[in-house]
Amino acid sequence: MNTLTLLAIILFVLMAWIGGKKGIKSFIALFINFLILILTVIIMNDPNAPPVLLTIIACGLISAVSLFFINDVNNKTVLAFFSTIVTIVGLIFFIIIMTEQSMIHGFGEEESDELTIYSVHIGLNFVQIASSVIIMSTIGAIVDTAISITSPMREIREQNPDISRKDLFLAGIHIGRDILGTSTNTLFFAFFGGYMGLIIWFKDLDYSLGDIVNAKVFSDEMITILTSGMGVALVIPVAAAMSAYYLTREKTKEIDEHPKK
Amino acid sequence: MYKWMKNRTKAQLITVTLLCVAFLASLVFVHHNHAFYDRTIVKVTEVEELDREVILDEHENEDVRVTQQVTGIHQNGETRGETITLTNHYSESLGVDYQLSAGNEIFLANDGESVGDIKRDKYLVFVAWIFLLILLAVGKTRGALSAISLAVNGIILSTALDIYLHNPNLSLFVISGISIVIFTVLSLLLATGFNEKTYTAIIATLIGTFASLAIAYLALVITGEQGLRYEEMSFLTRSPQTVFMAGLLIGSLGAVMDVAITLSSSMFEMFEKNHHMKIATLKKAGYEIGKDIMGTMTNILFFAYVSGSIPMLLLYFKNGSPLDFTLSMNLSLELARALAGGIGIVLTIPIAIYISLFFIKRKQVSV
Repeated sequence: MNTLTLLAIILFVLMAWIGGKKGIKSFIALFINFLILILTVIIMNDPNAPPVLLTIIACGLISAVSLFFINDVNNKTVLAFFSTIVTIVGLIFFIIIMTEQSMIHGFGEEESDELTIYSVHIGLNFVQIASSVIIMSTIGAIVDTAISITSPMREIREQNPDISRKDLFLAGIHIGRDILGTSTNTLFFAFFGGYMGLIIWFKDLDYSLGDIVNAKVFSDEMITILTSGMGVALVIPVAAAMSAYYLTREKTKEIDEHPKK
Repeated sequence: MYKWMKNRTKAQLITVTLLCVAFLASLVFVHHNHAFYDRTIVKVTEVEELDREVILDEHENEDVRVTQQVTGIHQNGETRGETITLTNHYSESLGVDYQLSAGNEIFLANDGESVGDIKRDKYLVFVAWIFLLILLAVGKTRGALSAISLAVNGIILSTALDIYLHNPNLSLFVISGISIVIFTVLSLLLATGFNEKTYTAIIATLIGTFASLAIAYLALVITGEQGLRYEEMSFLTRSPQTVFMAGLLIGSLGAVMDVAITLSSSMFEMFEKNHHMKIATLKKAGYEIGKDIMGTMTNILFFAYVSGSIPMLLLYFKNGSPLDFTLSMNLSLELARALAGGIGIVLTIPIAIYISLFFIKRKQVSV
């Protein structure tokens, strides 16, 4: 049997066993997200398709699957969805400027042998593709942080219906601070693990600090790690502000609709 | 109260001032550090486009090849101040080459007459600062602690790899195992301090990580690693299997820690609110939280791993490779890593619940 198939079966069994129906849904969501990613890459093959725009659309779909399919469409998932989109659109400008300036696009000279066999003059826009990769790497973490904030904020609002907009916002920021450390940790270890080989490579080949810092593969990796950390940090105030605004607005509306209550 | 606030603003003022000074100083430094480099750095002053032609490769991909004449000034070494003129070619897709414009700083290649690499240190430092400032602005003290914990973990990983490279007899596996214990204890103590929920999370993380590793290892052995394409692993100076397994172990650690601490802190919090809560109720509540987080957590790892392959996937597609070949060549290891990480995340949920319950039961008896 193929190793990937076996690992996927084990993951499915565990998710179904521990998570029940929701676990099965989570597994299916993972699979759908994989298909969305592959489909996006296939569409990117068309030189006329703008990679960044495609990525933003893909990220919208991916967040929708992770939020609305696993959970339901309710105000906490809708708020998490919009916070994710706002954060990503805000971040993408910074990412595009930094990729352009630091020229981390395309393939590094250390990257494998394909470059000698394959033609790299393939008419695509590798600057935009590099930006797309960065935004795509962090989408999972941004969605996770967003829902971890909007969901307890709604609960706080339900338990204290009289809470002011400012207090609710501050409560959201406090929740965010609690999860900020672990969320950035999750991302950093994931990237560390993925690039163990690269670090060993640098050390084995005696790269100097200057060589490492300026190498394309290293800069690319560091900028990806740091900007994804920024995404996770930025979604906290965005989600807190949007939830505070929306959830307290609902209250005023309720009062308007039932003025005698 | 007034005094406390006054003191606090003072401390904050000092912190902000220090940060600003460090920020500016480091930026000034990376813009004027040319003398520290052995390789020749050239600052581009003028660029003239000499030629522009449409090219077609053997797969009928259309691209534009541009030739630039670049004039620049040496920034370091004995030739500092001298003017140099060189020719630079790039294709508009910019897969491996660079489009230069005035103001860019480049390293000269060894032949002394072509573009070697770009001077990227200033951008790296800038992005690192923006990251740090955002972390501090949003997280205040907690943000500072996470930044410290990240830096410390980076240093530990680098040191651990140094030890590994200088002691060929030690297995990378053992070294990663020891590092994982240190990472876990340090990160979780920095995140939540010395208390029972931290201890619970530490134990749950370690059991969860090693259990998922054992499962992944067994799966690899049973299937004979069929379908894993190690030959496509980049940056290899060591045995690919070892590097892959060690990366797998460390890669899922952050996510497993996240799950463990989320569960242990919410279960202890529920217990603190109501000391007489039934164990069965607590357990059920724990599982509800676990169900909520397993989907998004597995997603995080999935996208962090798989997205990096997008440029290589496109290169394969554009060179006429079939879909299944392209996917299996470029994604097999990333998917295996994401799946193994997912197994770790899901397994840690019951482990963290039962360890929390163990500590809570002991507390209940003593109460």
